[in-house]
Amino acid sequence: MRTVAIHAVPEEQLTHVTFDATMEERISELLTHYPTRRAALLPVLWLCQERYGWIAPGVIEAVAARLGESPAFVQGVVTFYTMFYTSPPARYVLQVCKTLSCAVCGGRELLEHLKARLGIDLGERTQDGTFQLIGVQCLGACGSAPVIQINDDYYENLTIEQLDALVDELSQGKEA
Amino acid sequence: MPKVTIDGTVVEVPAGTNLIEAARQAGVAIPYFCYHPYLSIVGQCRICMVEIEGAPRLAIACATPVTDGMVVRSETSARVKEARDAVMEFLLANHPLDCPVCDQAGECLLQDHSFTEGRDTTHMVETRRTFPGLERRLLGPHIVQNQNRCIHCSRCIRFTQEISETAALTYKSRGNHAFIDTFDGQPFTDPFSACTADVCPVGALTIREFRFRKRAWKLRSTPSVCPGCSIGCNLWIDHHERTVYRFTPRENPAVNATWLCDFGRFLAESLNETHCLHPLHRVEGQLHRVSWGEAMRALALDVSAARTLRVVASANLSNETLFLARELFVRHLKGELVVPVHPGEPRRMKNGKGEWLYSRDAHPNSEGARRLGLELVDGERLARFLYGAADLTVILDPTAHPYLSTAEALQLLRVSPTLSLARTNHPTAEVASWLLPVASLASDEGTFTSSGGHVQRFQPAFSPAGEARPAWQILQLLARAMGVSALDLDSPAAVFAAMATKEKGFSGLEWERLGGGSPSTYREHQHVG
Ligand code: SF4
Ligand code: FES
Ligand code: FES
Repeated sequence: MRTVAIHAVPEEQLTHVTFDATMEERISELLTHYPTRRAALLPVLWLCQERYGWIAPGVIEAVAARLGESPAFVQGVVTFYTMFYTSPPARYVLQVCKTLSCAVCGGRELLEHLKARLGIDLGERTQDGTFQLIGVQCLGACGSAPVIQINDDYYENLTIEQLDALVDELSQGKEA
Repeated sequence: MPKVTIDGTVVEVPAGTNLIEAARQAGVAIPYFCYHPYLSIVGQCRICMVEIEGAPRLAIACATPVTDGMVVRSETSARVKEARDAVMEFLLANHPLDCPVCDQAGECLLQDHSFTEGRDTTHMVETRRTFPGLERRLLGPHIVQNQNRCIHCSRCIRFTQEISETAALTYKSRGNHAFIDTFDGQPFTDPFSACTADVCPVGALTIREFRFRKRAWKLRSTPSVCPGCSIGCNLWIDHHERTVYRFTPRENPAVNATWLCDFGRFLAESLNETHCLHPLHRVEGQLHRVSWGEAMRALALDVSAARTLRVVASANLSNETLFLARELFVRHLKGELVVPVHPGEPRRMKNGKGEWLYSRDAHPNSEGARRLGLELVDGERLARFLYGAADLTVILDPTAHPYLSTAEALQLLRVSPTLSLARTNHPTAEVASWLLPVASLASDEGTFTSSGGHVQRFQPAFSPAGEARPAWQILQLLARAMGVSALDLDSPAAVFAAMATKEKGFSGLEWERLGGGSPSTYREHQHVG
């Protein structure tokens, strides 16, 4: 399994966003699946997050213009969902499940270990911009607790040793 | 039409009416926060729950249309009381309860309901959640936000989405942390921004210009019409001790629903400008104070002696004043009269049906002047009208047209004797030989005809400042002094009655039925706020 690193486009480059041909094509395609443009807002935002790494205000304006909504409305939606990044994320976002099953199966220890090893607290990121640590609610994989999601991938039944190996790999710049 | 029984009272209402409005007609006040008669229904706050016979669960009145034979219990149901108490407890869990220092106090739906129904204790022992930084924040030029007080009704958001169509406001974040904001925190510059404070049921959004200037319960409200443009939005002049504090919208589905644009709303302050308080006469270059009696006697002679008489009227004057001016100066004295008009900024307003009304006319009564057959002129034709000498020039409103304050106009007016009505400091005062103090809209009475053709009445809030008099009355006094008894009509109502018999544009209209309502205190109309 390869976890793809996030490459967040810096904010300076996202002040006036115009969608290139590929983006435009994918948005147009998405729109064919929905009865209204508004209904396509979430998938279009996901597309943007995939493309730019996060949802900058300039991206919000471009999406709003494309879908005929106000930037305020789009920003309201973006801030409602915790999984849209409103600031540039680290290359690997470690999302540690904090809900019951994981907690009783060692999730808490994983979290404490990560905090100690990376020297950061929940919500923080390492200085080199490689890791960011956030706590999340049940990832729907309780059967293989404890679970950590890194970017878009799940890592299940994790032990501290496996986690260390993973972090080593990722921090060496190799994509796991 | 369906018949419903609400707390024992039977009412018949049009199909589609919701239970809040049906109950209003039955004399039952169902509380509500998120419901607003001119916004979409979202059913968010749950305070309007009622019991419907035959339905297992309580229903929200705002989103329940009447059906024939429905039996509804609001105040008479213990279940309803219990449910509303619970809603209130949740709404108040994080509310700061800072009514004593909140400017909304006295016109706050939350306070009203809390006061009548709420209990005076709370189970909440935890620290209330607050929004540091959003507690006294200037959201835009006119709106101050205190997010701690917000009850998340979304009225303000819906207003910008559905009425002003800027969709400039939104919730950011969610749940307990949700707060009202603009895109990226940019200034909230909606041209109807202050309406969001009107619709905000609590003190979360208040109007910067009005904050802490007067407690709501001290204000008296007088029905009037906006002087800002030809659309003619209905409003209340809110005043106390002969000072105007604000304009608030007065409901009229055909014109402005319950809205006012910021431009018109903030003209309120200008009504307090009264600089000219006594009749003045210029003798050897100096203005001297004279009594109304002296002024009228002298003017009656001057006016009758004038062989060439020209009158600059104004589309800011009431139909009654314009009618008297036409009868006296044109019909009786054979003078010439023009009504200058200038386009002004484009304005628009949304009526109760959701249609935009547009205006490119900065005057409230151009249509009235037109219907009275008066000659409407632009600045250029006004300049030509004033060119050359006349025995007497009468200016009924120096603010009728910006041209009147130009050096060129003053030069032309200097040539011959000029009588001017005046309220505020205006350059024409430097050249006029007579200045008569005239009342502001707040102390005048009469009608304006809107560009949509509505003849709308405005009422006097308080008597004029100093010795000023309303324009219609000045003309009446002049007519009396000149012995023109047909025009010695002692009230705008009497002038209107004369107009209604003579003028096509007014026939069939009755003064008493022209709306305007009766002067009331704020409470009686705040239901739309
Ligand atoms: S600010 Fe006022 S109108 Fe807006 S959601 Fe809060 S309580 Fe409702
Ligand atoms: S509790 Fe962690 S995945 Fe469900
Ligand atoms: S008024 Fe009915 S739910 Fe708010």
